[in-house]
Parts: sequence; structure tokens; C-alpha cells
Amino acid sequence: MVLEATMICIDNSEWMRNGDYSPTRFQAQADAVNLICGAKTQSNPENTVGVLTMAGKGVRVLVTPTSDLGKILACMHGLEIGGEMNLTAGIQVAQLALKHRQNKKQQQRIIVFAGSPIKYDKKTLEAIGRKLKKNSVSLDIVDFGESDDGKPEKLEALLAAVNNNDSSHIVHVPPGPNALSDVLISTPVFTGDGDGGSGFAAAAAAAAAGGLSGFDFGVDPNIDPELALALRVSMEEERARQEAAAKKAAEDAAKQEKGGEQASSSHDATMAEPNSSSVPAVDDKRHNLTDDEAALLEQALAMSMDDPKSTNVAVADTDMSEATADDHELALALQMSVQDNAKDSPTQSEMSKVLEDQSFVSSILNSLPGVDPNDPSVKDLLASLQGQSESQQKQNEDKQENEEDK
Amino acid sequence: MDSAAASAIPRGQVDLVDFVDWSGVECLNQSTSHSLTNALKQGYRDDVGLHLESDADEQLLIYIPFTQVIKLHSVVIKGPEEEGPKTVKLFTNKEHMGFSNVSDFPSSDSIALSPDNLKGKPVNLKYVKFQNVRSLTIFIEDNQGGNDVSKVQKIVLYGTTDWPTKL
Repeated sequence: MVLEATMICIDNSEWMRNGDYSPTRFQAQADAVNLICGAKTQSNPENTVGVLTMAGKGVRVLVTPTSDLGKILACMHGLEIGGEMNLTAGIQVAQLALKHRQNKKQQQRIIVFAGSPIKYDKKTLEAIGRKLKKNSVSLDIVDFGESDDGKPEKLEALLAAVNNNDSSHIVHVPPGPNALSDVLISTPVFTGDGDGGSGFAAAAAAAAAGGLSGFDFGVDPNIDPELALALRVSMEEERARQEAAAKKAAEDAAKQEKGGEQASSSHDATMAEPNSSSVPAVDDKRHNLTDDEAALLEQALAMSMDDPKSTNVAVADTDMSEATADDHELALALQMSVQDNAKDSPTQSEMSKVLEDQSFVSSILNSLPGVDPNDPSVKDLLASLQGQSESQQKQNEDKQENEEDK
Repeated sequence: MDSAAASAIPRGQVDLVDFVDWSGVECLNQSTSHSLTNALKQGYRDDVGLHLESDADEQLLIYIPFTQVIKLHSVVIKGPEEEGPKTVKLFTNKEHMGFSNVSDFPSSDSIALSPDNLKGKPVNLKYVKFQNVRSLTIFIEDNQGGNDVSKVQKIVLYGTTDWPTKL
């Protein structure tokens, strides 16, 4: 809850057209900026955030430090890519903008996205760093995109010059399937200096992804509960099947590794669809649901133990599948969601939490007399103990519970 | 040497450390392990082992607000021979100054500390300039030896308050 004024320096140089971060470097950067703004304003309502661009015709301040999130998001639209990044000028202008902040009690922080090569030498950067330290400005550096000419070393030198008591950080993000924002969520850039950041990060993720009304699939369960239930059940079915197939293939290779890496490597093969903006939104929602369902899991398991309803559930499962099979468009949409969700979930930072729940869940399931071992979904899930199959187990159990409720 | 300094409380003046508003005290470019409280707070400032040290370079900017309006008469700044401050500028009633605007306006007083001062001899200020002081900004520009790091052992402010006259 540190009271802070932050200036974010965006790199909108020509190097940002590259697509090695999906969809383009610039878009990944913009997403990260949105998340950061959300996290900062959420952690303390009096925090202010400002944005400036470093390339193009010159350093340009898009919005001075403000706590109005809408203003910040609005100014991120219509940004043009071009020119070369001027790192030193950008940092100096950011420092000036912070100096003239309205609330002098706020601590000063600059977040720099360094995506293009840095043409300045170490000495210049160190001088700038010292000046920042002298004026007690903290600096966070996100090193992504181009990595050459000793760029990491230069940035590390800059960080060493600025760093006062570990208040400044640097994050190196290599290109890869993970979104830039996802990688940043678990770093000190988001979490601040150790004050319970994951809460803000999760909230920020939800806020950023919450373009939808906050419900699964954009369908309001109150308006159309049957449709919402049908959609959810079918997605779980689909995912269980896909997961089981993928898991069996990858299981031998990486039994010891974390489920997250395993799932993502196996799903690189199955990934057919590109990430659309709405799908990650759905996926985030589903993952948040997973945590809630952990609580419901206890109930579901107890109920499963009591009644031999798993057979009924198996029948109900097929009914559901048939229902959705009729609607091809729906099934296709669910397929997309399933694949994307399967890819997204392991990269979420809450993976570790899921893993803990998984071992707990698997041990419980194994001891349940009421669970029908012949149930194909249960069988598949038991076969793969890591990755999302566990979250699917929870959802399957929840589905069973819903079935019983029905 | 010390006895001369200790008994040198100017007549009629009080030590203003009791009137310092500690919640607003700030110091730019101080080293985290050697902070301003070491030089300013009673007890700390007399401890020879504790001193205020600068960080990135030799300049220091100290901001001291007071709980009431005071008149400043003199200051004592103690420090080591080599790294003790040399040129010190004082500004009154200017909030949140930065290193970039120390030269924007003239100081209320500018003093050059001699080695005697560093041993504890008080420096008398231009009293007329310090009649209505809500906050004091001390800018230490350089040190005696021209080192990269300035060290300050003790800062004492002597003056009077308006209390008897203001109702």
C-alpha cells in the first residue's frame, strides 16, 4: 500500500513491430501497461500513474500522473509505432513529470519498457541512475525485445546505479509463448516491495480481462441457466478428454517437472487457434472460478461418497455432450476456449496453488468408495495427476454436484 | 575543544530540536545506513559512532519543518575534518526543494564552515532573515576535502520561538 506516483515509459519504436511476443511486441507492451496501471491504482487509491512514449518524433507525455484509470487506458489507443527510442531523454522527462506531481508525499517511481537496442554507453546510463537515486526516484526496468550489444549488462549497470535498498528492479523477459503481462505479474514490478502483491495482480488480471460482464462465456446464468450450465459442462468434458490425451503423451518425458511446463509444452502441439482478446478473458474467469470451486469440492466429494450417483452422472455427461454436439458452432467455440484455456492455465501464476490442491484432490478421490472407477472422465483424470487435469477434476466434481442439484 | 562548544549555547536562545516536526523531516541523497536522525535527534547526534552520510555524491538536501514558527539565531554543524561540510546554504519556508532548484532562488544565508565550526563552534546567522521560519532547508553543497561523500556528525539549531508573543 505504498503511496506512489509512477511514470511509465513506453517504447514505441520501429522494433516494436516484431511479432516474437504475441501478437506484436507493442501490443504485449500495451497489455502490460494496462495491467500495471490497474494494479497500482488498486493497491492504493491515491496512487497516480502517468504514461509517456520515448520514440516517435520525440519524448511525449501522454498523460501526467493521475489516478483516473480511464484516462490512462484511453491514451493508450491510437499510439503509432515509429522512430527510435531515446532512453535518457525519456527517463529525464519522466523524472521531471514526477517532480511536479501534485501530492508531494508520494514516492517517485519510473517504469521503463526497454524493447529496442540501447545506443547509450554504460557511463551515461550510470550517471542517469545516480541522478535518480539522488532525487530518491526508484526505477523498474522491463528488458524485452531486442537483446544485443550488451543490453542486459547496460541495464543492470543502470539498475545498480539507481538501486537504493532494493526499491528498484529489473525483469528480463525472453520471447516466448507466455504473454509479457503474465510474466510480469509474478515479478516485483507488480508486487511492489513485498506487500502482498498477488492479490493486486489477480485483481488486476481480473480487471483487465473483465471486459465481459463477469460471467462465464458471457452468458448470464440468471437469464439462461440451462445454457450456461450446458456450456460449462461441455467445456469441462472436452478439456478432460484433451488433457488426458496430451498428458499421456507427455507424462513419461517429464514426470518430475512442474505441471505447468509440462502442460504448456504438450499444448503447444495442440494449440491450433490464436489467442483472441475475448478468450483470455473467459480463461481468466474460469481460473478464478477454479479457486472458488476448491471450496465446493469438499461438498461435491462428500456427496459423491454418499450416493452411487456417478453412474447417473456418466449418463448425464453423455446427454450434455450430445446436446452440444448438435450445435456445431457452439462446440467449435468451446473447442477454442478449451484449447486456449488449457494453454493459459499453466501459465497463470496461481499454478502452484492449483498443484497443491491437485495432490489433495487426487488423494481424496482415490479413497472415495462412491466414485465409479469405470467412469471415463474420472479414469482419465486419475491417470494424470499434474497440470490442468486436476482443475478439471474439480470442475467435474462441481458438475456432478450441479447434476445432483438439478 | 568540546567544553567550549558545549557551553556555547547563545544567551537567550534555546535548542530548537524540541520544535522539529519529525513527521515531515526529509533528507535527499542520504545513505540508508547513515541517515539524518543520526545527526539531528537528541541522543543520536551526540553518539560519535553515528553520523549522516551522503550517498550518490557529496551534496545533501535536508528539509526540517517545525511545529511552530521560530526565529533562528545560529547553527552548529559538526563533522569530520575531511568529509565535513564546507559550503552550506540555508533556505526558509520553501517546501520540497530538489537539487535542481537550489539555484533557482537566493538562499536566506550562505555559510562557509571552517574547521573550528566543524568542531562545534556555532555559526551566527543573519538573524533578520530568519524571523519567521516555518521550515528550514539546509543544502550542503560540498565538503572540506572535496570528497565524494560528505559526513555530518551533528546539527544543532539555536533560536527562539514566538510563543510568548503569539496568542
